[in-house]
Amino acid sequence: MSASPDGSTAATTPLLQVEAISCRFGGLLALDQVSLELAEGEIFGLIGPNGAGKTTLFNVISGLTTPSGGRCLWRGVPTAGLGPCGLNRLGIARTFQNLRLFESLSVRENVLVGLHHAARAPLLGALLGNGAFRRHQERLEARAMELLTLLELAALAEQRAGDLPYGDRRRLEIARALATAPRLLLLDEPAAGMNPAEKDDLRQLISRIRDHFALTVLIIEHHVPLMMRLCDRLAVLNFGERIALGSPAEVRTDPRVIEAYLGGSGGGSGGGQGSAAGEGR
Amino acid sequence: MDAALLEQMLLGALLALSVYLPLRCGQLSLATPGFYAVGGYVAALLSTGVPAFAGSGATSPLPALLAEMALGGALAGLIALAIGRPVLRLRGIYLAIATIALVEILRVLNLNLPFTGGAMGIFGIPQPFEHAGGYVLFTLALLAVASWLCQRLEALRLGRAMAAIRDDELAAASVGIDTPRTKLIAFVASAVLAGITGALAAHFFNSWNARAGSFDASITTLAFVVFGGSRFWLGPVLGGLALTALPELLRPVGDLRLILFGAVILLGPLFFPQGLVTAERLRGLAAVLGRSRGRGHQAPQTP
Repeated sequence: MSASPDGSTAATTPLLQVEAISCRFGGLLALDQVSLELAEGEIFGLIGPNGAGKTTLFNVISGLTTPSGGRCLWRGVPTAGLGPCGLNRLGIARTFQNLRLFESLSVRENVLVGLHHAARAPLLGALLGNGAFRRHQERLEARAMELLTLLELAALAEQRAGDLPYGDRRRLEIARALATAPRLLLLDEPAAGMNPAEKDDLRQLISRIRDHFALTVLIIEHHVPLMMRLCDRLAVLNFGERIALGSPAEVRTDPRVIEAYLGGSGGGSGGGQGSAAGEGR
Repeated sequence: MDAALLEQMLLGALLALSVYLPLRCGQLSLATPGFYAVGGYVAALLSTGVPAFAGSGATSPLPALLAEMALGGALAGLIALAIGRPVLRLRGIYLAIATIALVEILRVLNLNLPFTGGAMGIFGIPQPFEHAGGYVLFTLALLAVASWLCQRLEALRLGRAMAAIRDDELAAASVGIDTPRTKLIAFVASAVLAGITGALAAHFFNSWNARAGSFDASITTLAFVVFGGSRFWLGPVLGGLALTALPELLRPVGDLRLILFGAVILLGPLFFPQGLVTAERLRGLAAVLGRSRGRGHQAPQTP
């Protein structure tokens, strides 16, 4: 998978357009006119130092935070006011940096909750547990086990989610998100707390998931080597501004990215940000 | 144990289930006694004022009782539906305070409306059953149906959505669960159950006044669920049965009984913070039952 050429994204409507999103929390400008376009099927990385606004952008896209300015478009249609539930039904699913599993439920039940939209059944049949409902239930259970198998969690199906070790919890959150049949998957630091071998497994897993479900993936991750290998395109945020956008090779050599990560002298850093803002608009 | 006490215990168990339904969804609502009072007034007013419901003499026909229960439940449910959306935006202790305020508003309304009989309330409510035993059987059937519905909830999409909201409301919304709607369903179901129970209770107690739905009752019904456990429907049912019976069973010790009752409510959560019925204990019980079934074949081994 090479970087998708600009020509192809212009020809068809992008899956998601983020248009000049700003987000202000009191005196803090967490996002400053950030724009992105996600083409269908790509793995798009979002990197940047701590506090750059990456998770805030996720929260805006998934409807948890209302932006102070700008808008998001899903297949060309504005998504304002839909909220997390409505956006999930459109096809956006996410995981959380701080893991938000249903801890008192089992691993299997967590995925079944994710299958909520698919679980609709006639009420009377469901109450009586008639044959049609039981077959429907069996299909749901089979689907849940399929996802758990894909995420290598099948053996842990009956464990309480709150009792799982860290890496398994991260994968369970991905399984739960996939259960909602998304078109776009937002992964917020899925490799946090993993060792190098686990990180490598995760990278292969994300590629596999993307191919298997023909998904588009937007991923935040601090581990830059992993992102360079995984992503088709990358955007770099620093202090709420998008300072770079392009293929991994382009981003790697971008002087503003190097400056944001390695830090320059005080005056040079300020100037760098100023020029990035100027070119960004 | 006399039938009248048994009937009160069963009514207590029904009210405990009414408190349990929103709690299963993580919502601490104390509105149950308010809806219970509303259901009782519907039955009291209809059966003393409307000839079709009153029947002949001191008895009222069973279909009239069923109709009153349906109407009492429906009115309570409508009130819950009307106020549910804004009230359920509140969380935790704030929701508890708002629902206590609702109970107080309904109580003051019931005291002051022109047709609810003021502080004396409504009395001489006709009896659909000649003996308390009839009430016990009828209420037992109602409790069985309510418990069965709660049990079915465990297997349903709605029940899973409620459990998900209890664990993490934000994560539930992000997997496509309409959280305001799900919370509203739990709140309305709780109100309907309380209203139905009130309609039945008004006949059993023969009179009905505003004290049926008071702040005290809010706390007592909550204690049923805290004592019994809020994770599984069996908890509130046991809590409701036990804590309704306790003050009566303690009658021989005289004035000490309220102190002992208070001590039980205090010590219960201290020693059983999850309540009496928890998932672990249910699994343990199932294991013990399984083992005792197997033990029939082999002699118990002693070291």
